[in-house]
Amino acid sequence: MSNVNGKVLKHGTQTRTMHWIHLLAFIILGLTGIGFYWDIGGIASIFGGEANASLVHRWTGVVFIVGPLLYILLNFDRFSRFIDTISHFSKDDFAWLKVMGGYLPFLKVDEVPAQDKYNAGQKILGWLIIIGCLLVILTGFPMWLWRHSVPAVFLAFCYDVHFWTAIVLILLVLGHFFLAAIHPKSRVEFSSMMLDGYIDAEITAHHNAKWFAELKESS
Amino acid sequence: MKLFHENEGITRRQFFKGAGMLTVAAVISGIFAKFGFDVFAASDDYITQRVAGLYTLDESMAIRKSHENPEIIQIYKDFLSPGKLVCVSPKAHHLLHTKYGQDIPGFIAELKNPHYVPEAEPAANEETSAEEPAA
Repeated sequence: MSNVNGKVLKHGTQTRTMHWIHLLAFIILGLTGIGFYWDIGGIASIFGGEANASLVHRWTGVVFIVGPLLYILLNFDRFSRFIDTISHFSKDDFAWLKVMGGYLPFLKVDEVPAQDKYNAGQKILGWLIIIGCLLVILTGFPMWLWRHSVPAVFLAFCYDVHFWTAIVLILLVLGHFFLAAIHPKSRVEFSSMMLDGYIDAEITAHHNAKWFAELKESS
Repeated sequence: MKLFHENEGITRRQFFKGAGMLTVAAVISGIFAKFGFDVFAASDDYITQRVAGLYTLDESMAIRKSHENPEIIQIYKDFLSPGKLVCVSPKAHHLLHTKYGQDIPGFIAELKNPHYVPEAEPAANEETSAEEPAA
């Protein structure tokens, strides 16, 4: 690992606030949703019974939409940079995917290809979360507001898409949590998003070499 | 300790990517919402027309209340409460009321044997007369 001193501000205050709001909303939505689907009375009881849990699920869904939407409108530059980063896949990203960033114990890797602010796995996760969120949002509203007017087949389709997308999102978020908070190679990322936003420059120089080169050039 | 920060502002490419992403999301949501609102409006329109149709049909009927129907009144006078008009006579109760639960075995026995007499028929003098209400 290169010997670089200093700290990098990876995630600004508003980004971290949005991430916290989205995370808390996601946990509440996931819990209540699982409670509805498998009819788990214990989960509904936490939220004051099934009727209240249903209300909590719907209005937390509104927070789940409004939180990131406000962030995007108030921080359009950050959002644009994020979209630009995750939509740019270079040869290094494909090379990173071939070796899975060196995260898999049975894949021996000498050197992991240099990455942007987000590595190829994070870029894919970003797209999956954007698409998944759009799907649960778009299928959630007909189930709430138009359940008595849309065709039954369409409503059943919405329920299926909503459920399976939520399951995929929950699994993705669990994987994201494991890599960002538990895995010894990458758990240093945790505090940069959940606490003060800073990460050691030395770690950034190693994990996000391309981005760090830009930072050094501009500072 | 040296602190590294990202540059503020965005390039033209970043702007177009961010704006494009927002536009695509807005267009998809808009199309979906348009479909939903159209279906909702169509459903609302159908319900309004259906209600209007039912009221129109009802208003065009010569007899609009079952207890004022001369044929029903005649059936009560001739058969269900012979000679008088008793709204819930024992025979009307026995023939017209739904059987369920513990009544079902007796009902099946009655169907098999027309002369079967049910054990617990309400007595005639316990019923309320439409013409002579109980004091």
